[in-house]
Amino acid sequence: MSAPLLNVQGLCVEFGPKAAPIRVINDVNLRVDPGEAVGIVGESGSGKSITSLSILRLVPEPPSRIAAGSITFEGRDLLAMPKSQLRHMRGRDIAMIFQEPMSSLNPVMTVEAQIGEAIMLHERMSRAERRARVIQLLRLVGIPDPESRLKAYPHQFSGGMRQRVMIAIAVACNPKLLIADEPTTALDVTIQAQVLDLMKDVREKLNTAILLISHDLGVIAEVCERVLVMYAGHVVEDADIRSLFENPKHPYTRGLLRAVPSLTDERSRLYQIPGSVPQAGSIKQGCPFYARCDLRQNICAQTMPAMSRHSSSHQAACWVTQNLSEVRSA
Amino acid sequence: MARYILVRVLDSIPTILLVLTLVFLAMRILPGDPALAVLGDNAHPETIARFREQFGLNDPLWLQYLNFLRDVFTFDFGNSLVKNAPVATLIANNLPYTLELTLAAMVIGITFGIPLGVMAAVRRNKWQDNGFRVFSLVGYAVPDFYLGAVLLLTFSLSLGWFPINGAGTDFASRMHHIVLPALTLAMLKMAFIGRLTRTSLLEVLGRDYVRTARAKGASERRVVYRHGLRNALLPLSTGLGLSILSTLSGSVAVELVFNRPGIGRLLIEAITERDYPVIQAGVVVFASVVVIVNLLMDLVYVAVDPRIRVQ
Repeated sequence: MSAPLLNVQGLCVEFGPKAAPIRVINDVNLRVDPGEAVGIVGESGSGKSITSLSILRLVPEPPSRIAAGSITFEGRDLLAMPKSQLRHMRGRDIAMIFQEPMSSLNPVMTVEAQIGEAIMLHERMSRAERRARVIQLLRLVGIPDPESRLKAYPHQFSGGMRQRVMIAIAVACNPKLLIADEPTTALDVTIQAQVLDLMKDVREKLNTAILLISHDLGVIAEVCERVLVMYAGHVVEDADIRSLFENPKHPYTRGLLRAVPSLTDERSRLYQIPGSVPQAGSIKQGCPFYARCDLRQNICAQTMPAMSRHSSSHQAACWVTQNLSEVRSA
Repeated sequence: MARYILVRVLDSIPTILLVLTLVFLAMRILPGDPALAVLGDNAHPETIARFREQFGLNDPLWLQYLNFLRDVFTFDFGNSLVKNAPVATLIANNLPYTLELTLAAMVIGITFGIPLGVMAAVRRNKWQDNGFRVFSLVGYAVPDFYLGAVLLLTFSLSLGWFPINGAGTDFASRMHHIVLPALTLAMLKMAFIGRLTRTSLLEVLGRDYVRTARAKGASERRVVYRHGLRNALLPLSTGLGLSILSTLSGSVAVELVFNRPGIGRLLIEAITERDYPVIQAGVVVFASVVVIVNLLMDLVYVAVDPRIRVQ
């Protein structure tokens, strides 16, 4: 195994007062190798966005704080690093794109200024060089006639185009890791496919590792080789994409897969996992999925299962399936 | 752009007309006879009659109104009933002092108010923020005539650092004279502008594009000033417009306390003397300033926010 690019170990994030903290991220382990694309999937409130924001320490503190764990990037501990030093890694080594292309760009700055800023913060170059680089980036992300759009403001772009500008900002300094937090959720389907293609394209050209956060397994399958399933602040399954789709080990993952609509489906109603995600911090012991699980046993209510290995690239946290060599696909 | 300005100017005409009408009516409805006010209670009835005739006070109301409007639009406000000088001259002599005072107060208010607000927002709930909250509460609560009197007593009478009254003649003495009155008005400005800055900056700092700026690797300073404050300026510019107007009305009290010449004092004196032409002209000047300031603020808005430019 090569050295990981990003290694998150035992990450815990808490909100609220120190005396009575609400734990929203619980013992999350996450590893991304150089050039690899990893997905995190989960429902709203599962903690996937907080996890991704924690990596660059972009979660507002207070009210939240990273209570335990370590996050290393190329062997350097991001949590121990002073903020001023971390700042130099933001955008240069690790870049991020967000869910809301409509509001993630500054409304009073031109796109040239916003993309140029990302370059200016990390690289010394003349104004003319910078402009040339901005044009090149706009071309890379597929904005037609980039020279004429330099002085345009975000409100003059459509949602899809704005997300392309966001990607241009993110890849401006050739980062080694690109974190994309629901990059396509706010876009309509055809634009979604274009943006995903663009991300794959960028990855190929720049050899950027990708951490893609989505609630949509289809989106993740499109881009990633490996996927983590998160539920109520826990990673419940970690597998290569093929094993996950063919042989999911956690009942929650199986529920997610069953909920995906398909064209050949005879069902008149889509499957839904009964119940809803528990409120953050409300589960004090046992498996957080216990209340909604169709395989639950007594032990599940008592103790949270540890991750157990099913193959070299597949592990899941479930008492029931860890003892079975194979679980009948539901 | 020129078209936009023209439309805005035309828009303001009905506002000015309405103000003019209200002033005209108010002066006629209020009790008190200018002839008696000027000539005294013991004046001979014949003198009074001649006075009324001379200044058109016997004309029917509608004729007085039309004459009044004609005078306003030809910038001919007639002569003061009391001061024996053309109203235009009185205005021209007094307006610069008021503008100078307003400008000085605004400059102090903005120079200190915005940084104070930024500090309070960035150090939210820390001692800096709490300290600013107390300061702004005091700034709001203390009336300017009282604050003016306290400053006057302390720094002019007791310490002798500043002149007691008047407005000075040459530039240096005018600057010297303006310090205390401007500070008096600026206290409220600082409190108001500071609070406004704090509120709108806090709102803006929670926005997604601020997170984007942080994710790019921008320093906190850059995030606050370049991305935060620039956007916070949008609501702030409206507030600044309001603030200029309140400074203008605040100058009335301050000019009295510091015995400074100015439109405010001119107006107060005119009201006590029932000097119709001066009152009317004074209010027209105030109303015009309000309209001009609003227009300027609209233009500032356009300059600050590219989204308005297109529409």
